[in-house]
Amino acid sequence: MIYSALKAAHVASVIIFVGGVLVDAVFLSIASGSGQPAISAVRRWGRTVTTPAMLLAWTLGLTMALQQGWFASFWLPTKLAFVLLLSALHGMQSGRLRRLEGGQTPAPNAMVRLGGLLTVGSVVAIAFLAVMKPG
Amino acid sequence: MVSAGRARTGGDERDAEAAPAGRAAETEIRQLSRLQLLSLIEGATLILLVFVCMPLKHFAGLPLGSKIMGPVHGLAFLAYVWTVVETVSGGGWKAGEIVRLVVAAFVPFGTFANHGLLTDKRRRLSDSECDSAGPST
Repeated sequence: MIYSALKAAHVASVIIFVGGVLVDAVFLSIASGSGQPAISAVRRWGRTVTTPAMLLAWTLGLTMALQQGWFASFWLPTKLAFVLLLSALHGMQSGRLRRLEGGQTPAPNAMVRLGGLLTVGSVVAIAFLAVMKPG
Repeated sequence: MVSAGRARTGGDERDAEAAPAGRAAETEIRQLSRLQLLSLIEGATLILLVFVCMPLKHFAGLPLGSKIMGPVHGLAFLAYVWTVVETVSGGGWKAGEIVRLVVAAFVPFGTFANHGLLTDKRRRLSDSECDSAGPST
């Protein structure tokens, strides 16, 4: 039990740490004069890295769930709710970045404004549910 | 001289205003094209699954098609719904249009029925792009 909790906390910490390193990498690439506008660089990163990774995560996750018969459990549908929230957040962020790149300033949205908090909270919940598999 | 200078400045300002509007319309048209392509893929995989693979599984005892097409459609469904979220998050969509786009993913031929809505949106954006480019040409 303690080992599983430690493992879940470790996985959540690693994901948040790597997310932060990627933010720094993208920001520094823009700040060091990569030549393209910041929004275009962030959108390009989303298109080439974040969105394919999200689709791969969905594909591999659903394949594992089907193979192991996890859909009847409590933890997987609960975890899926957090995964859906994160995927929707990424979609909203992507939509807003597109508008900003087009020279528009879309009205602020509560979910996008709280994006950082929602991401960290969801990652912690997902890591604990996936590693400890309660129920 | 002064009036010519003013006219040139006015033209430059119009160009400066038209450029972002044209760029925004171009970005939205590209996004709508992506959504239209994904809606066709989602619709086609759903039709194959419901009208070909499932009858083969239940009436001919051939489950292979469902085993392959099930996950393929699942992925197409996810990609379509995610692209709907990405598209409508930019704003400018009525609640009814958003519901229509989402519900279509669950109904065979549903996404094909939205083809007209998306084409119409694209045409209006193309027109606005031409209008914004008009004065400078």
